[in-house]
Amino acid sequence: MSQLLKGDGRTHISSGLMRESLVSRRLIKETDATVVKGMVPDVNMICVGGRSIMDRGAEAILPLVEAIARLNADHRMVIGVGGGARARHTYSIGIDLGLPIGGLARIVGGVEENNRDILQFLLAPHGGITFVKDHFQDLQLFLKNGMIPVCIGQPPYHFWEPPSVEAGQLPDNGPDTGLFLMAEIMGAKSVLYVKDVDGIYTDDPQKNPKAELIREITAKELLERNLPDMPIERELLRTLENARTVHQIQVINGLQIDNLERALKGEPVGTVVKSSRAK
Amino acid sequence: MKKDGKIWIAGMDNALAGQSLSGHEMHEKLATRDTVTVLPDVWVIKIGGQSVMDRGREAVYPIIEELVAAKKSGINFILAAGGGTRARHVYSLGLDLSLPTGMLARLGASVPVQNARMLQILTAKHGGIMCYPEELEKLPFFLNAGCLPITSGMPPNEFWEKSQKEGLIPANRTDAGVYLMAEFLGAKGVLYIKDEDGLYTDDPKKNPDAKFIPETTAKELLDNGQDDLIVERVVLEYMQRGAHIKKLQIVNGLKPGQITAALAGKDVGTIIRA
Repeated sequence: MSQLLKGDGRTHISSGLMRESLVSRRLIKETDATVVKGMVPDVNMICVGGRSIMDRGAEAILPLVEAIARLNADHRMVIGVGGGARARHTYSIGIDLGLPIGGLARIVGGVEENNRDILQFLLAPHGGITFVKDHFQDLQLFLKNGMIPVCIGQPPYHFWEPPSVEAGQLPDNGPDTGLFLMAEIMGAKSVLYVKDVDGIYTDDPQKNPKAELIREITAKELLERNLPDMPIERELLRTLENARTVHQIQVINGLQIDNLERALKGEPVGTVVKSSRAK
Repeated sequence: MKKDGKIWIAGMDNALAGQSLSGHEMHEKLATRDTVTVLPDVWVIKIGGQSVMDRGREAVYPIIEELVAAKKSGINFILAAGGGTRARHVYSLGLDLSLPTGMLARLGASVPVQNARMLQILTAKHGGIMCYPEELEKLPFFLNAGCLPITSGMPPNEFWEKSQKEGLIPANRTDAGVYLMAEFLGAKGVLYIKDEDGLYTDDPKKNPDAKFIPETTAKELLDNGQDDLIVERVVLEYMQRGAHIKKLQIVNGLKPGQITAALAGKDVGTIIRA
């Protein structure tokens, strides 16, 4: 049993971190571990692009919904979604109004909820159910009943969104990063970003016909390449690099519908991005 | 109607329409954007967990007295509570079980809420009222009603707290939450009430030769590589990028008059500038 200790005016509980400043570098290093547990490690996180998939309407969404419904029999999945065009519109108006970064982060999730509700509605006949923050710990209840939880991507930092490391003071943390963080707590089996391109290219393929598809790369190298644009958030790469339970993600083209099944089976079908911690 | 294969309606056109939010060009264009201040006349004051709350009545009562006197003199502020010893204990337990950082952040969030509730009970007769993260938008109401809003210092990250390069302890704890809240609000100032006069070259509780630092910058502190600091490291990073809060003040709540002096704009304790 833990002992209560006094003597310096403060009451401490005897523990490894007793009386310690949690800011100490030495102490922080000592708290590291090579293996960290996951909460629901057999889950696949499917991140559906807002602008790349949802904004395309029925032609992109319905085949994907059909594929998810079919694959649910063999794969445990959580479906997350971004905001797309309406998120850009929100930011644009918010910027014009002079909203601070925390204000932008607070309001942008609203349009993702639209997309979540649409996917949940379409998946409902196959077990689609809304999956919200307060029910994170109920995940097994949904999955064990064969349901398909559908959630938004924006992480709930809200007004507490940190100042951006990029220029421009837009939130660094968007749906790609938020869904990855959920996957990390779960210790997910795979994290797939379903977009409308085959993966990450060395340059914009629409502007440069010589642009090549990158099949596999490390998060660190991708950050260092400093590409002018990317189909995933830069913060996702920084987050992946430090993650302890998930060491790779894959960006796949959701317009070619076989890709999802192949990726769930572990095939590389798009761009695989690995962290330095990957084995 | 569709444009480039995507659902489109008139009116959706604007600077960000059709943009990938990861593009450098768009970020550069927005680099000089200005932002409003939300509650510019309000201070955000953090009461330390281990440094103040865990000392009990002896430390907490006089600090509340000083804060209530400041409130009565017309100074508006939000009080935020730190975690302290019980947070350290649950982190120890979590680390022993190899729990991930996001889970530790979830666990660590409970303790500052307990401390905030203790402060609310003690200040209720002076208007102390709990303000949860979902109620931040009600701050104008609480303040205009003459209340003393009390929050947990912890940011609402919980399961979404990121793993860090080194160590598993959540990087964003109550100092960071307080800074970020103040930065969003464009607050008048941020005051951290601790049990030391401010920042030292080392932990003064363990090293008697540690020297007091009355004023410094975030960059200097991060660059000089000292092992220990009086505020969470991420705060020093955030304040270099933040738009509004470019100064923090750390005072010794155990010395009567320090809080009052800081709220009057005096350079007591340690001042850290961006």
